[in-house]
Amino acid sequence: MKRIEEQTYYEILEVSPNATAKEIQRAYERAKETFHADSLAIYSLFSEEETNKIQAAIEEAYHVLMDEVSRKSYDQSHLRNHVGEKRQIPFGAQGIPRERRDSLSFTDLSINTGEVTYDGKILKQIRERVGIELKTISAETKISIKILEWIEEETLEKLPPLVYLKGFLRGYAQSLDLDPQKVVDGYLQLFKEEKGK
Amino acid sequence: MGQAQNDNHKMIWTIGGGKGGSGKSFITANIGICLSKLGVRVILIDADLGGANLHTFLGISPPALSLSDFIKKRVSYLHEVLIPTAIPNLQLLTGAQDLLNAADAKSVQKRKLLRSIQRLEGDYILVDLGGGNSLSVLDFFLMSDGGILVVTPEPTSIENTYRFLKSAFYRRLRQSVSSHPVKTLIDEALDRKNEMGIQNPHDLIRAVKRISEEDAKRIEAEVETFHPNLILNQVRSKKDIEIGFSIRSACQKYFGIHLHYLGYVVYDQEVCHSIRRRKPLVLENARSRAAQCVTEIATKLANPQQISLPFQ
Repeated sequence: MKRIEEQTYYEILEVSPNATAKEIQRAYERAKETFHADSLAIYSLFSEEETNKIQAAIEEAYHVLMDEVSRKSYDQSHLRNHVGEKRQIPFGAQGIPRERRDSLSFTDLSINTGEVTYDGKILKQIRERVGIELKTISAETKISIKILEWIEEETLEKLPPLVYLKGFLRGYAQSLDLDPQKVVDGYLQLFKEEKGK
Repeated sequence: MGQAQNDNHKMIWTIGGGKGGSGKSFITANIGICLSKLGVRVILIDADLGGANLHTFLGISPPALSLSDFIKKRVSYLHEVLIPTAIPNLQLLTGAQDLLNAADAKSVQKRKLLRSIQRLEGDYILVDLGGGNSLSVLDFFLMSDGGILVVTPEPTSIENTYRFLKSAFYRRLRQSVSSHPVKTLIDEALDRKNEMGIQNPHDLIRAVKRISEEDAKRIEAEVETFHPNLILNQVRSKKDIEIGFSIRSACQKYFGIHLHYLGYVVYDQEVCHSIRRRKPLVLENARSRAAQCVTEIATKLANPQQISLPFQ
């Protein structure tokens, strides 16, 4: 029975140590949903402090495991430490050496609080992290590569009418195992912001 | 859980937790019928303190004989108070709530009843515990081979389920330790405002270690083997279905236990219709969506290797 501080990043996200980037992304989305402050599933079970602690652990696990270099280094140290007796797996700001945190190129996705807003940049980063090429999504969804590029580049003026765009965004989201509704809602915010300018 | 296991592989399942109205009796009755249709002998036991009406879900009148007749020695053997139903392989025992409700229901009596139940000729025994949270109900839940929690995707139901689970969890830990101070510590830990600052099972184990290393190890061993099951009832969307998985994750993080998500039953008007007509859904409308969900869960129970058994 391990406290959250003692769990490995894999245990925190409930994935196997061999999990692919896509599986980690999916597990992260699920964990965020589960341990969100307003989540029905944890209602009355945890204190606010406990929930915050778990949320921080999930973020930490996600950031390390989604960065190839950090994950490799974590795996090495984790495997090495497992030879010995019980080991406390560090998490939290103090747990990861400063230089490694700084080297994370994933900081744009650092979502310490609140929900992710899926704009083009975020979608592109997630896609690249899970290692899926645009042509694969295009083949799966029958959406032209050009439109997928415009979605990622946020070339709003060239994008098709909203009624079609929503369908394309859903298809894109499903290819990456993201919540289609959240991706549509997040992306459409861009149009509202554009109008507001 | 698991103390009820016996040589002839009889399985005793208890259905409890949540709150009144979450569908425990509906699920107990219909799972029982599904199992009996698979050709195994099934006994349903009504131990709902809040309102024993399992017979209504089976479409039969309030039975004349009950467990009280056995306890008060009006009949010699427990099997004499079993009520046959129109469904082959399915029998009903009512009145178990009388014992669970009795203030003087001692542990010895409960164990005696459990032994009598174990001797009944059946392959599957399903006990509807209702929404109660008393010590007797918790003991029955823990003494069975498998405890099933029925919860609906609503805050009230989830809150009550966690309350029940916490009580059952701490009671199980209490039963596993020998030292009196540790037992007292566990009793106090149930109250979140306790003076020792114990907020969760992890804090408790740390506090127990300070008193008895041996008891702390026992507790950790108990946690490893505590595997309650969950059925999510009245789900209306994919998101609702996901809540079952989320509850499983939450239990893993909070209690350190593996809760098995046995399945879900969709919200279906046919359920209300079948209850009003006093005709069990899986017989009346086996092709309805809810009936199909229940059948799927019953199939899992009939093939325990599909579930994270053993419970012992």
